[in-house]
Parts: sequence; C-alpha cells; structure tokens
Amino acid sequence: MKQIRPVLTFAKIDIKRLFRDKTGIFFIFVFPLIFLLVFGGIFGRDTDISFSIALINNSDSAFSQSFVEQLDKNEIFSLNQEITSEEQALEEMNRGSVDALITLPDNFGTVLPENGYPSGTAEVLYDRGNEQAGVTLGSVLESVFTEINAEFVTVETPFNVQVEPTEVEGLTTLDYIFSGLLGFTILSLGVFGPTTVFPRMKERGILRRYHTTPIRVWQYFAANVLSNSFVGLLAVTLMFVVAVLLFDVSMRGDYLSLILLTILGTMVLFGVGLAAGGWAKNENQAAPLANLVAFPMMFLSGVFFPRFLMPEWLQTVSNFFPLTPLIDGLRLIITEGKTLLELGPEIAMLMGWLVLIYLIAFRVFRWE
Amino acid sequence: MIETILEVKNLKKIYGSNTAVDGVSFSVNKGEVFGILGPNGAGKTTTLEMIEAMRPIDGGTCLLDGIDVAKQSHKIKQIIGVQPQTASFEEKTKLTELLEFFASTYGERVDAREILADMQLGEKADAYPESLSGGQRQRFSIAAALVNKPEVLFLDEPTTGLDPQARRNLWELVESIRDKGVTVILTTHYMDEAEKLCDRVAIMDSGKIIALDSPDKLIKKLLKRGFKKEKQVAQANLEDVFIDLTGKELRA
Repeated sequence: MKQIRPVLTFAKIDIKRLFRDKTGIFFIFVFPLIFLLVFGGIFGRDTDISFSIALINNSDSAFSQSFVEQLDKNEIFSLNQEITSEEQALEEMNRGSVDALITLPDNFGTVLPENGYPSGTAEVLYDRGNEQAGVTLGSVLESVFTEINAEFVTVETPFNVQVEPTEVEGLTTLDYIFSGLLGFTILSLGVFGPTTVFPRMKERGILRRYHTTPIRVWQYFAANVLSNSFVGLLAVTLMFVVAVLLFDVSMRGDYLSLILLTILGTMVLFGVGLAAGGWAKNENQAAPLANLVAFPMMFLSGVFFPRFLMPEWLQTVSNFFPLTPLIDGLRLIITEGKTLLELGPEIAMLMGWLVLIYLIAFRVFRWE
Repeated sequence: MIETILEVKNLKKIYGSNTAVDGVSFSVNKGEVFGILGPNGAGKTTTLEMIEAMRPIDGGTCLLDGIDVAKQSHKIKQIIGVQPQTASFEEKTKLTELLEFFASTYGERVDAREILADMQLGEKADAYPESLSGGQRQRFSIAAALVNKPEVLFLDEPTTGLDPQARRNLWELVESIRDKGVTVILTTHYMDEAEKLCDRVAIMDSGKIIALDSPDKLIKKLLKRGFKKEKQVAQANLEDVFIDLTGKELRA
C-alpha cells in the first residue's frame, strides 16, 4: 500500500492539472471533436446516397403535378427548386452541384382519348461524367413508372426482382469512420502528449527533482498510465456522446467491451509516447520522433482512410502497428456488435505491444 | 562529542577523458552547516549528486549515516532532502498538492498548509509555483525538501539570483533548520554567504578539494602568510547601504 499511495496521489493531481490546462484540453478533447464535426457533417446520416436533380415541368396536366410531388417525397432525390430553365440546369450540372435533369414534355400526363389513360415520357439528361447518377436515376424512375402503370393496366410479370437490405439499420460512412476518429483521439493523447511533456519536464529539471525522492520509475509510470487511461476514457466518452446525439452514430456492441478496449489501447499508445518522450533529452529530439511514430499510424492504421483501399503489402505492414488492432477492434465492437472475447487477434496484438513497449520504455527512460 | 554523519573517501566521477571529481575526501559532522565552494565547473554539483544517490559513483566510497550510498541508494533517498540547482515544479499544480505528492513518495502524510504557513507561504497554499517570486520559490523548494524530515539537507546554490532581502531571509531559514538538528550541506558562489552560514567549508577546484576548514581559520591562515588587501576595507559596503536604504523586509 505504501508503494501504491504515491501512484494514486500523483494520478489524482495529474488529472486535476489537465483540467487546468487549456492547451491540453484543446488537444485532448476539442481537437478530435472538430474532426468528428467535420466528418460528421460530410458523412452523416442525412446525406445517404442521394441525387440532386433539377426538374422542368412543361406540362400543366394534373398527373404531372402529382408526379412531381411524388418525386419530391422520394428520399433518393433532392429536388433543386431554384432551377427553372434547361440552360440553368446544364450550367449547374457542369459545376457538379446538380446530378441530372428531368424534363417533362408539355404532353406529359395528358389523357389519351383512345384508352382513357394518361401517358408520357420523362426525359432524363445526365452528365457523361456521372454515369452512376444517370443509371440510378433511370432505374428509379422506371420503378416509379412501373408502379404507376400497374394502377392503369394489370400486367402479370412472371419474373420479378425483390431487393431488401441485409441489415435492419444501415451503416453510414460515418459509422465506419467514427472508430478511426476514436483511434485518433487515443493516438494524440497517448503519443503527442507525453512526447511534448516529458522532454519539457526534463529540460526544466522537474523530473530531476522527482529523481531526488525515493519514487521508482514504475511508480511514476503507473501514475501516468492511470491518469491517462482515465482521461482517454473520458475523451472517448465525449466523442461518443456527441456522435450519438448529433450524428446518430449507431453502437451495436456492449459498452464494457468498448471501455476495456479503450483502456488497453490508451495504455499501449501512451506506452509508445512514454518510450519516445522518456528517452528524448529535449524537445528538439522528441518532436521529430513523435511525428515519425505517429504519422505512419495516423495514415496507415485506418484513421482517415479505410485500410482496404491500400495496396496489400501496405496493409500487411500496417497490421503490425499498435493503432491498427485498436481501431479494428473498436470498429468490430461498434459496427458489428462483437464482444471482447471475439476479438482474439486484435487483443493479442495489443497485449504483445503492451509488453514490448513498456519493456522498451523502462529501458530507455531517463530522469534528465 | 562530535558525531560524523557523512564520510566521503576518494570520490571520483569520470566522463570520458574528463575527470569531473578527482578523489574527493571529507567528512561532515552531525548538525553542522557544511559548505562546498568553488568556481563554475569545479565539480561541486557532481559531488553533491553522487552523495545524493542521483548519479553513479565511479570511484571511492560514501557513507551517509552509516549507509553505503552506492549500494543502497533508495535507503539514502529516504533520509535526505534535496534542493537541486534551479529546482522547478510542474505548472498548474497547487503548492499543497506538490507537497502532498512529495510526502507520498516517502510514504508520509503531511499537513501541507501548516508547512507552508511555517515557511511564510501560507497565502500561497493554493497558488501555482509559476506565480511565486524567486525567494518564494526557493523557500517552497526547501519546504518540499523537508517533507520527509531528513537527517541531511542538500542545498545547491540556494540563493543564486535572489535579491538581498530574499538572501537574508533564506539565511535565517537555513539557520533555523540547523537549529532543529538537521545537517545542511550547501554549495554557493557567495563568500559572504559561506562566511555567515557555514561552520566549515571545503574549497574545490578542478575536481579536487584544495582547502577545508572553518571560514575563520581559513582567513587566519591567509593572514598569517602576510596577506594584505590592496584597499583598506571600509566598515560598510554597498550591500549594507542597500539594506539600510531598502530595509530587511522581504519583498513579493
């Protein structure tokens, strides 16, 4: 107990100190939130695959009116109401802000005298460079028409296609990116923090002063690991609350697994920072080292880009980065509802790093 | 009966081809104020740091309170208090918190506010160290070095950079610590300070001790050799004028 008390005392003070430090708060809590807001704004739930279309209705038939209303309700389209002429529409298409133009000719929806049905052909104009929009729009309109046609003429169709989503709730891009952002939060807390703080404390003789007391390196390490795990958990919680409230990010797994993995990940990444910052004599030595360690992880472990987009050899290399199993693990918990017990490879890799990195950190640590 | 608390024999520190401390021997009596003087680079701080178990000893032996420093560094740290040169503390940390932490490393609990009040720092208990003046910082640093009620207190250049009032105040503090029975070992560049505070001084140059005695005896020895100051010393100096004009009270 006598050995543990300095650890607890120091950890408690360390946490209090963090909340008095505006720069620290910014980098640990606000900075990742900014990323979340940016990515959430881009990839949030509101912006599922949708096409912005212009519609020019040259017909005054009742049918054409109700057709336009129906299109407007369709979630796949967002109707640009401001465009009224073909020229304007073409201009916007060139700029890329409008994906396609639907024109209803003046005879659209007029009732034919021979059978009493309304009829017509909707013209879809799309940009050559935006094939996807054209094809999707064409098939969506076709299915809309099929439904309408069925109301007038009963046709038995021997072959049909039934389309259903695999899961009840769809995953958005943000759901996928979110785990990467959590990884980024833990990375910046674990690596950028200690690689700046420890060398600065050495330069100012603060660690030297600690070294005059009987405190042991493991006690000092343990205190820092404790306070940083707590702060890491807090930062991840904050990200979660904002992501769920603002962007409706879905959490499929259990929170216990998430908490335990967050703590394990924070311990590993803080170990990386501790090894680098504990070794470096001054900030000039530490800053390049921190970047050398953090940037490859930031770009290759799946923080900002999914790893499956990378060439295979790069994926193999980044498999061994400590951030990779953390982000993969978080993603499996959050998007696939896996529990910690199902994350064998990820946990094994993190545990391996935990042992290795703290062995290194103990060996290279210097008080001054 | 004089009791020895520190026994240093033939202490050596070698950095590559440079012998920073070259066979230093001396002993310190319990309850005395012992000064180590010398120009910059003489090896004062390195000598202190070896005795404080901060730096490996390359040669010789060092017994503090009967404990071998080289073999039982952890035990040594329990019974000494150290104020390193230019001691600095973590920012945004209350003085009370710092003292509680330092005490906890010795397995002790302290009443931080009481300690600070004793050190004339009562009003600063909830302040951060970066808001302290030079003199306050040195007093706090000494307070932190005393949390474990050490046998020996080491002060490395405690008054460097302080104004005359703060220096005098610190001298009084050192004397009061000695009066409580704590042995004090200090280094300094100021001869008036050594003369005022130290029972005995060792003068170091180039890693060796070149003289060791009480300030009085060292002065007498010099006079015996027929030394005379070029200029007759006046009964007062500029510092006396300064103190007379500005008073002894501590500022800021």
